[in-house]
Amino acid sequence: MEPSQGGGASDRDLMARLAAGDREALAPLMERHYPRLYRIALSYLRNPDDALDTVQETFVKAFQNANRWDGSVEAGPWLSRVAINQSIDRWRRIRRRQATFTPLAPGDHEAALADGALDPDARVHGRELRDRLATALGRLPERQRAVVILRHYQEMTLEEIADALGMKLGTVKSSLHRALGRLRTGLQRGLES
Amino acid sequence: MILAHLLLRRRVALLAAGVLDGRERDEMRAHVDSCSRCRREYDELRAVVGALEADPLRSAEPEIPVSVLIDRVEQRLDRVATSRPKRAHGWRVALPAAAAAVLAFVLLGTELLPRRGPEPVAPTPVPAAALPSEVLDRLERNLAREQAARYLSEAQDVLLAVSATEADCLREEDRLDVGEAPDRSRQLLARRALLVEGRPEAVASAQAVLDDVELALREVADLPSCVRRRDVERLRQDIDRRQLHMRIRLMTRELEG
Ligand SMILES: [Zn+2]
Repeated sequence: MEPSQGGGASDRDLMARLAAGDREALAPLMERHYPRLYRIALSYLRNPDDALDTVQETFVKAFQNANRWDGSVEAGPWLSRVAINQSIDRWRRIRRRQATFTPLAPGDHEAALADGALDPDARVHGRELRDRLATALGRLPERQRAVVILRHYQEMTLEEIADALGMKLGTVKSSLHRALGRLRTGLQRGLES
Repeated sequence: MILAHLLLRRRVALLAAGVLDGRERDEMRAHVDSCSRCRREYDELRAVVGALEADPLRSAEPEIPVSVLIDRVEQRLDRVATSRPKRAHGWRVALPAAAAAVLAFVLLGTELLPRRGPEPVAPTPVPAAALPSEVLDRLERNLAREQAARYLSEAQDVLLAVSATEADCLREEDRLDVGEAPDRSRQLLARRALLVEGRPEAVASAQAVLDDVELALREVADLPSCVRRRDVERLRQDIDRRQLHMRIRLMTRELEG
């Protein structure tokens, strides 16, 4: 295999080749988009193995479904869409599997907004922050979490998010609003405990 | 005033999330600056956004190089490409041409197996006298048994590979890499249905082993490629409890005659 093949071609050219069934176009696309898609999957799933498997599946799906790419979006957002949807799929499977070992505490997903304030000056770093975020993000409904990841880890616009998740713009806005509220509650709990 | 603030809340959140622009953003900023309640809401949500933006995972680098990922994806695509047509036609396609001709002859030319549906458009049948029916019967029986034996020994390879795996997943503790075992299990399960479709009575003595192997393969087929150590352990115990490896060995020998 020659990973550098197609190195000079644009994403658009590569996607067009992929859509025509040219597998050689896959490697250069992977070289360009692998780290970014990995970060989408990792921030969603919070586990490197799951993230790697998900990126792998993302590229397999990308090749298999490339003929549906109609050129109206760029390769990057199109791949992001595949990656976030693969992440959601994988999360569902993980949860089904985990359900037999560690049932979720009742009410976890129905956390009401707390009145207490999250101290903006609370300085948490590195692993501690990561763990606290993992817990708080893990309590979000899967699509709210996807909205947060695409917005705050990928800096996507609301329109791009709506497109990636097949949601209406208004639904994306209210999802983001609710998700931030729930995250505030989740992070406060983390600080109190 | 309270209702108005409920309606404002979403826009405060969107301002904190940085997704408002133009006049809407300027108006909300002005309001937040002049309203203590919205100011507090805004500050808290900004702290949440700040925490998200400080998440170390935002800048995480993949632990395996892209070349390895490319290889893995290529392998997956190869497997998909080769397993698809096989699945559609089943193992009969893989039979040697002569044996397949014999099978066709048996199906069309004798009453050994019940005919189903409308009369097939028959290729010119070989005269029934060409081979005695008991010879054909034996040939067909042996083929079915050989297929079952091969299936069982391939299944055993997969189960052994899973049980014996000690390969850690990418330095992640307590997780084992079971590689292609789930994919191979799925391929085997697709063949399983065709084993009994062919000549069920020829492999009747293997039924119990085939059923237990099928259960074990289904477990493996459902695994992700990276599995918790305790899940592998549970599977291993289950296989041991059913004495599956020993039974497969004995049955394979019996089927191969
Ligand atoms: Zn206000």
